[in-house]
Amino acid sequence: MISVKNLSHSYSNDDKLAVKNISFEVEKGETFGFLGPSGAGKSTTQGILTGLLKQQQGEVTVAGYDIKKVQNERFNKIGVSFEQSNVYSKLTALENLKYYADLFDVPTRDPHELLKLVGLETRENDRAGEFSKGMKHRLTFARSMINRPELWFLDEPTTGLDPAIAAIIKDIIRSEKANGTTSFLTTHNMYIADELCDRVAFIIDGEIKLIDTPKNLKQQYGKKLVEIEYVKEGKICKETLKTVDDSDRKKIADIIKSYSIQTLHSKEATLEEIFIQVTGRGLI
Amino acid sequence: MKIVSTYVKEMKIAFRGFYVYIEIFVAIIALIILLVAVKENPEGKSEEYLYNDIPSEILQDLYEKDIEKGSIRFIEDTELTIKPGVFTVLNKDTGFEETFEYKEEKTVIAKTYQKLNTDTGEVKGKAYVLENEEDMIRLSNSTGKVGATTTMDASGNFSFKYYLQGYETKRYSDVLYLLHTFSEDDIKAAMDQQTTRKIGGSGRLNNREAVVPIFIAFSGALMSFFIIMSYVFLDKSQGVIKAFAVTPSSVWKYLLSKILVMLTTVLISSSIVVIPIMKLKPNYLLLFLFLIASTFLFSCFGLLIASFFDNISKAFGVLYLTMIGLMLPAFSYYISSFDPLWIRFLPTYPILEGFKGIMKGQADVPYILTYTLVFLVGGGILLALANFRFEKSLTV
Repeated sequence: MISVKNLSHSYSNDDKLAVKNISFEVEKGETFGFLGPSGAGKSTTQGILTGLLKQQQGEVTVAGYDIKKVQNERFNKIGVSFEQSNVYSKLTALENLKYYADLFDVPTRDPHELLKLVGLETRENDRAGEFSKGMKHRLTFARSMINRPELWFLDEPTTGLDPAIAAIIKDIIRSEKANGTTSFLTTHNMYIADELCDRVAFIIDGEIKLIDTPKNLKQQYGKKLVEIEYVKEGKICKETLKTVDDSDRKKIADIIKSYSIQTLHSKEATLEEIFIQVTGRGLI
Repeated sequence: MKIVSTYVKEMKIAFRGFYVYIEIFVAIIALIILLVAVKENPEGKSEEYLYNDIPSEILQDLYEKDIEKGSIRFIEDTELTIKPGVFTVLNKDTGFEETFEYKEEKTVIAKTYQKLNTDTGEVKGKAYVLENEEDMIRLSNSTGKVGATTTMDASGNFSFKYYLQGYETKRYSDVLYLLHTFSEDDIKAAMDQQTTRKIGGSGRLNNREAVVPIFIAFSGALMSFFIIMSYVFLDKSQGVIKAFAVTPSSVWKYLLSKILVMLTTVLISSSIVVIPIMKLKPNYLLLFLFLIASTFLFSCFGLLIASFFDNISKAFGVLYLTMIGLMLPAFSYYISSFDPLWIRFLPTYPILEGFKGIMKGQADVPYILTYTLVFLVGGGILLALANFRFEKSLTV
């Protein structure tokens, strides 16, 4: 669905590159996470893929279109949810969606249905200017689905949302994936990426350092330990045991069999820890 | 369909914002001012003080003849106050200087006449006739207006003595001299031999109507240059342009929808002023065609300028200077003698001339249509440039 080969970009048209010779592919139906801290080159890459930035070097194909050639009809297949809410504040939520629906050449989704999906059905006739930041973000998110996109660009889809709403958004992303939608998710939130992405790419200083599935990364970089707390003779005991060591595995089994277990945690590495391990940099 | 949706959306946003209401409000205020405060044919501003050293029965006869001819009209006896002061009167013929000094304020009664155009009845000025020459001289000096003494000798010939302020041009005093040296027929015959060129057609706009071309050119067409930039910068600040850029719709449809909003609001605000004042005098088809063409030109120009800036603060310098520059032809409009060649190259010059002709009801149709075409083609080129610029910069 997306093919990027040797892509580079400079805002100043010189050798100061915001994106340096990156290559990757996103398969149809895949949720691909593009992870990195601020200024890493995430937004630049997404800007080029969505046509908001001019492609300078490399080859990029998006939804079957070579983006160097101006073909507006490609946007019929693409949806973009921006990090910064950008809806018409003087239009109601419903008017915003109806207007955007009219701009596409393909059958669009019912705006009422979309507003219901993001929990704005009771506010559909209120002007977006009266909305909270989170509500505007949900409206922007809903708008990105109006044309039933085959390829969905999601820029920080849950940033600034309360956990309940964030959970709804994540459910919608999963649901769209189940319907075959390909997603390109840009974020610096490793937990979201871990929950939603089939594969992730770590980008830092304009370069992709690594691309793999979260599961493989955890296996490769994780510690393979279990931390266990149990009650022995009235006292709480705590032990950390290796899951790859036979004696430790036997000990885990004995503890579970003989004592009352208080807590049991696998100590696999988080994506954030792996990111720091791989890039030597944090995500903020 | 997309252009219709975008236009409808833009109209909703426009009418939920305040720019449109400002335009309409300004038009209504302008209309009220024109109807209430600007007289169609105001009284002439020229005022003069007269003293007649003529036997009363002859003077009465002369006034009656002038009233009958329609060149003057008696209004009332006016009470005038003369303030104390010191001044010197120089006789230009003899070089004799006479100083007058008055320490007391004085109140006098003057017979007041309006001077009229015998053909149109239009008021040309006002004359105060005093009983005392010294009072006339004092009033002329204290008000800075012309004073005159008319004397009749024993043979029935009139002589005139003018009291001027000293700063009048030689041409002015020569005219006064000619008026009383040659007969009316001689002057008319000399004038008829002059080659004259009539500027702006033969029709005439009264004082109130003369403001209308200025209003629709500047508050209508030229203002669209400013307002369309404001709309674009508002969209930029809200980021909605980015959202538009990732739809299959073209940038030019977005730009054209803004222009259509401008045309709609300018037609509304201009009609508010034009229709009540001009009534059926102008050719409205020609008027709206010319208004659409000129608004289109300035809207496209505004879009092009907006494509170079991120927000209105950064664009303000260019915006301000451009608008000031484009307003300069207003000087030529009001001051006929100020008409340098360079000012004719500003688009507002032919716009003002065009609107003036249309308002007179005697429009030079080929002139209007030629400039309509020029504005539409020019606007189209600017729109193409703006489209090119926005495709590159709209989304960043």
